[in-house]
Amino acid sequence: MTVKLSEGAIEALIKGNEVTNPILQLINIRKLDSGNGPVRFRLMMSDGLHTMSSFMLATPLNSLAEQNLVAPNCVCLLKKSVTNVLKDGRTVVIILDLEVIKPADQMAGKIGDPTPYVEGQSKAPQTVPALTPAPAPSSTSARPLQPQNGGSMNRGSSRDFGKKPMTAPSTPGGTSKVVPIASLNPYQSKWTIRARVTNKSAIRTWSNSRGDGKLFSMEIVDESGEIRVTGFNQEVDKFFSLIEQGKVYYISKGTLKIANKQFTSLKNDYEMTLNGESTIIPCDDSSDVPMVQCDFVSIADLDARDKDAIVDVIGVCKNVEEVTRITTKNSREVSKRNIQLMDMSGKIIQVTMWGNEAETFDGTGQPILAIKGARLSDFGGRSLSTLYSSTLMINPDIPEAYKLRGWYDKEGHALDGQSMTEMRGGGTGGPTNWKTLADVKNEHLGHGDKADYFTCIGTIVYMRKENCLYQACPSKDCNKKVVDQQNGMYRCEKCDKEFPDFKYRLMLSANIADFGDNQWVTCFQDTAETILGQKSDYIGQLKDSNEAAFDEVFQHANFSTFVFRNRVKLETYNDESRIKVTVVEAKPVDHKEYSKRLIMNIRKHAAH
Amino acid sequence: MSGVFESPKTRINASMLSQHVSRPVSFIGRVEKVHPSGKSFTLTDGEGKNASVELSNPLEEELSGIVEVVGMVSNKGTIMAVAYNMLRDEKGISFDLELYNEALKVIHDFPQHYPFEVSLSG
Repeated sequence: MTVKLSEGAIEALIKGNEVTNPILQLINIRKLDSGNGPVRFRLMMSDGLHTMSSFMLATPLNSLAEQNLVAPNCVCLLKKSVTNVLKDGRTVVIILDLEVIKPADQMAGKIGDPTPYVEGQSKAPQTVPALTPAPAPSSTSARPLQPQNGGSMNRGSSRDFGKKPMTAPSTPGGTSKVVPIASLNPYQSKWTIRARVTNKSAIRTWSNSRGDGKLFSMEIVDESGEIRVTGFNQEVDKFFSLIEQGKVYYISKGTLKIANKQFTSLKNDYEMTLNGESTIIPCDDSSDVPMVQCDFVSIADLDARDKDAIVDVIGVCKNVEEVTRITTKNSREVSKRNIQLMDMSGKIIQVTMWGNEAETFDGTGQPILAIKGARLSDFGGRSLSTLYSSTLMINPDIPEAYKLRGWYDKEGHALDGQSMTEMRGGGTGGPTNWKTLADVKNEHLGHGDKADYFTCIGTIVYMRKENCLYQACPSKDCNKKVVDQQNGMYRCEKCDKEFPDFKYRLMLSANIADFGDNQWVTCFQDTAETILGQKSDYIGQLKDSNEAAFDEVFQHANFSTFVFRNRVKLETYNDESRIKVTVVEAKPVDHKEYSKRLIMNIRKHAAH
Repeated sequence: MSGVFESPKTRINASMLSQHVSRPVSFIGRVEKVHPSGKSFTLTDGEGKNASVELSNPLEEELSGIVEVVGMVSNKGTIMAVAYNMLRDEKGISFDLELYNEALKVIHDFPQHYPFEVSLSG
């Protein structure tokens, strides 16, 4: 089976003419490492008549090249491309979408005898194709695109942008073609995009040793993608009042640079800075431009994401806590509010909102809340925090929201939900991770990278009273074990001091049981004191003076029942792995609450 | 009537009285009214429904708060008490009648899991 290439397509592409779905053969591909920026691939393509080496693969397609799907000799269908003319007149064709219709290994070699395309000479090779020797791919390009010594490419060209500003005046939304956001890159300057502002920040000011200034930023979206745009000083004065969130604008001539992913969740390797030549004009006919682009992550999947990842989530606002005022590290007072979001995965995560959003948030009626660009934290397991750049949407008009609403009203509301965020204090605020001791084993809690926390009702069935006390450094906040110098002095290695006394501290090993299983746990000072009902110094005193009374303390505590909150983690000593359970909190059983939970669980089991 | 103590006593609320005529029961409720004679009083259960309790001997103490009564249900649906016990607050925690009522319903909804009613002998 032979493949027919779209002869003449290269010339048409370079001239910026419409070419629908041309079929081209890949002659050569090379990777351009541009320092800190994303890797880009530059391709030499052939249409059978001509070759041209200034094709660039849009970064979303990089995986095709990385997986070797796009390899020399393969035949591709260009589904979408944009031709850009650089300031110096050179032409680059950005490939936005392509399909490999014939893989490289099914091709014998190059089709035909294409020659490098040179403007003005387009007819010549056609007349004498056979006479022109096929040039070696690496030396084909008659007009090298630009110096190709690695990292210099990217930076070199952006320096150019600064040095020689375009002189040709471009009327707003005027002559330059409207291109998709996904095609924007630092190597081109003449473009206009048509995009909707999905998020607009307030004006922020800064002041430091190098002076002061102000800036604002916005996020814009079109059907191809999204990008963050920042304006400084003059551009703030010029554009800030013009921009309205939700409206569509023609934007042209911003400076593109590598995006700082720390500050943005947008799916774009670049971000834009407005400059003196930038223009923004409103566009009235905007119905076809999408509203917001969200890439929602299931709450259950947040566990697998990295800390500090910026994510989009949507969930039912299951619980809203009151606003609290806290003082930050740099002694600024700020409002914060925690809410619990649940989605169809049945998992719940805590979201912390700040400032004005925290104060004005209205969670009545358990609304659907979509958050674009929240930061994932590993605080208390997994939690989310909104950022300055986050967009909060209550009951947004998107299909995901309706689907979620339907699910929640039908079945979700009855679900207890399992929290990704470990609650502190217990009782108040969100749900607790209740487990039976058998659950802990069956579900392999603590086997992950992080420790797990669970809460159980347990009865103490045995305590190791031997070695439950140790002699600790008496200085405040140091609980290090001291060494008895056998001369009336006790030495603390940590404080590097000797003391005439010590304080007793508890480290109690206990076996707790519920109806199905039992578990060895370790209780430190506070939890051990709770369980034994006595202070450690008193217990130490008894141990030294009154063994019967000492035993009595343990007798009394035996078979008492507590609500234990535990930390569980698989720990390895000398190649031996053991599950270690440490009691974080022990408190008396609230029988009313316990009964309510049991009744609820019985009803829930019966319903299934 | 002395058989009440020996036989299993079903825990019920007021709406279950009619199904337990001539059977020994345990009823917990809040004291509403004590008859001036001291020989009967009414209890309200966790659903707010009333039950009348009749005593063979007049009360010798003032009755209030939450009371458990053990007795036989009469044809009229009253409880012929053989014993009663006032449930006082335990460590400051009062008896939660509503919660008790929920537990009662669980016992009656899932008798297979709560086999308290062994066999009723005579």
